[in-house]
Amino acid sequence: MQAGMHPDAIFLRRRFMNAANTMPAWTALPLPISAGICPDGQARAFARPLGSGAVFAFHRMDQPASLSSAEVLLEAIGRGSQLALKRLYEIESRRLYGIALRIVRRPEIAADVLQDSFVQIWQNARRFTSERGAAAAWLTGIVRFRAIDAVRKLRREVLSGDPGLGDAPIEPDVIERIDADAQATALRHCLQSLDDNQRRCILLAFVDGYSHADIAQRLAAPIGSVKSWVRRGLIALKGCLQS
Amino acid sequence: MIPSDHEELSVLAGEYVLGVLDPPQMREIEAALGENAVLRDAVAFWEQKLHPLSALAGHAEPSPGAWDAIAARIAGTSGQHAATGARRNAAPWRWAMAGFATAAAAFLLYVALTPAVPPLVAVLHAPEQQAASWIATTSGGGLHLSAVANEMPPPGHTFELWAIAAHAKRPERLGVIPSNGTLRIAALPRGLGEGATLAISIEPPGGSPTGQPTGPVVFVGALRAI
Repeated sequence: MQAGMHPDAIFLRRRFMNAANTMPAWTALPLPISAGICPDGQARAFARPLGSGAVFAFHRMDQPASLSSAEVLLEAIGRGSQLALKRLYEIESRRLYGIALRIVRRPEIAADVLQDSFVQIWQNARRFTSERGAAAAWLTGIVRFRAIDAVRKLRREVLSGDPGLGDAPIEPDVIERIDADAQATALRHCLQSLDDNQRRCILLAFVDGYSHADIAQRLAAPIGSVKSWVRRGLIALKGCLQS
Repeated sequence: MIPSDHEELSVLAGEYVLGVLDPPQMREIEAALGENAVLRDAVAFWEQKLHPLSALAGHAEPSPGAWDAIAARIAGTSGQHAATGARRNAAPWRWAMAGFATAAAAFLLYVALTPAVPPLVAVLHAPEQQAASWIATTSGGGLHLSAVANEMPPPGHTFELWAIAAHAKRPERLGVIPSNGTLRIAALPRGLGEGATLAISIEPPGGSPTGQPTGPVVFVGALRAI
C-alpha cells in the first residue's frame, strides 16, 4: 500500500493522520490581547493586535506521546526515515550523552560515542524488536557498549587521575536515586538484598563501565574476588528478580 | 566457549551486559548472539532488568553541532534500507531559518483580508522547526501557495506540493512549485478540506516520476479554517 513512498513521507503522514483532525500541527487561536502568549507554558506562540482588537496566535500543538515514543520512531527509522532519527535524537540524546559521559568522562570522547551510536542506531534499527523489551534499554545498550569500548581503548590509567572517579556508586544510598517505577523498584529491592561488595561491583560496572580489573583497583581487592562478587551478585540478583 | 548450562549462560550474559569481560570474550559473545537465541534472550533479560541503573548517570547536553555531524554521516547512506542513497542527499541541506515575524505578518495580512466566507489556511514549516516557510490559502475551490522564506530546492531538484485528505491513505499530487515560489491551483481535488495536510517534497525536475513523493518531505502544514 505504501510502496514507492519515501520513508519520511510515511512517517510524517502517520504522525499527522494519527494526530487526527482535532490535533493539527499548527492552529490559529484567538486570544485576548492581554494574554500576549499562549496560556500553557509549553506552547511556542506569538500574539499581535489586529484591527478590532482580536489577537491571533500560532500555537504549536504537541504531538501525542505515543507517536513520539522510541519504539514508534525506531520502526520508522528501520524503514529509512531520517526525520524519525532526528526526532529520536531530540528525545533521547541528553539521556544517552549523559550515560556516555559518565563512562568515558571526557566530553570530546563522549561526543564521538554519541555520534557513532546514532549512526549504529540508523543502521541497526530494523534489528530492534519490542518483543525483547523496551526501546530505551536497547538504545542504552548501544551507547554503553560503545562507551565501554572507547574507554577500554583509552586505557583506564589515563583516566585514573580523575579524583572523582567512581566515588558516587559506592555509597549505599545511591540506589535510592533510581526511578520509582515498578521495574526500578524491583531492581532496587533486589540490589539491596546483595552484600555490599556484590552491589558495588554491579554498580561500578554498569554505571561507570568498569572492567573486572578497574573494579579491583578501585576497591583495592584481588581480581579473583571481584570476579566472584560479580558472578555471585548476578546469580543472586537473577534469583531475586524472578521471584 | 558459550556454556549450555542455563545458570552459567545467564551469568555470562550478565557479565557481558555489565561490560566486565575482556575484549576477546566480548567479541566471542557478539559473534554467538546471531545464532544463539537462548543467549540473546539472556542478554535481553539483563539489559531490561539493569536498565533503571542507567538513570544514575544523569543527563548531559551534547554540543550544539552534534546532530549536524550525525546527519552528515548518514547522508547518502541508507543503513540496511532498500531506499537508494541518491534520495538522501537533501539531509545536509541547510534550512534557511525564516524570520518568524515575517511569516506572522504574512499570515495576519491574510487574516485581515479574509472575505465573508473564511478560506482555509495552511502554514507550512520544516518538520521540528518553528519558522513558517510557505503559506497556502484556499478560495473559490482553488489554492494559492506562496513562499514566505527564501527556500530553494537542492540543485537539480524541484519542490512538489502534495495534499493528504483527512482520512486518505495516500498523498495526492498538487503540482511542482515554480522557482518563483508561487503556485496557483484552479481547482483542488475533491475531498480536500479542513484537516487535510499539505506537504512539500524534493523531487527530480518535472516532479515525482511515480505519482507519489519519492524524495524527503521537507515542509508540512495542516489546512485549517480561520
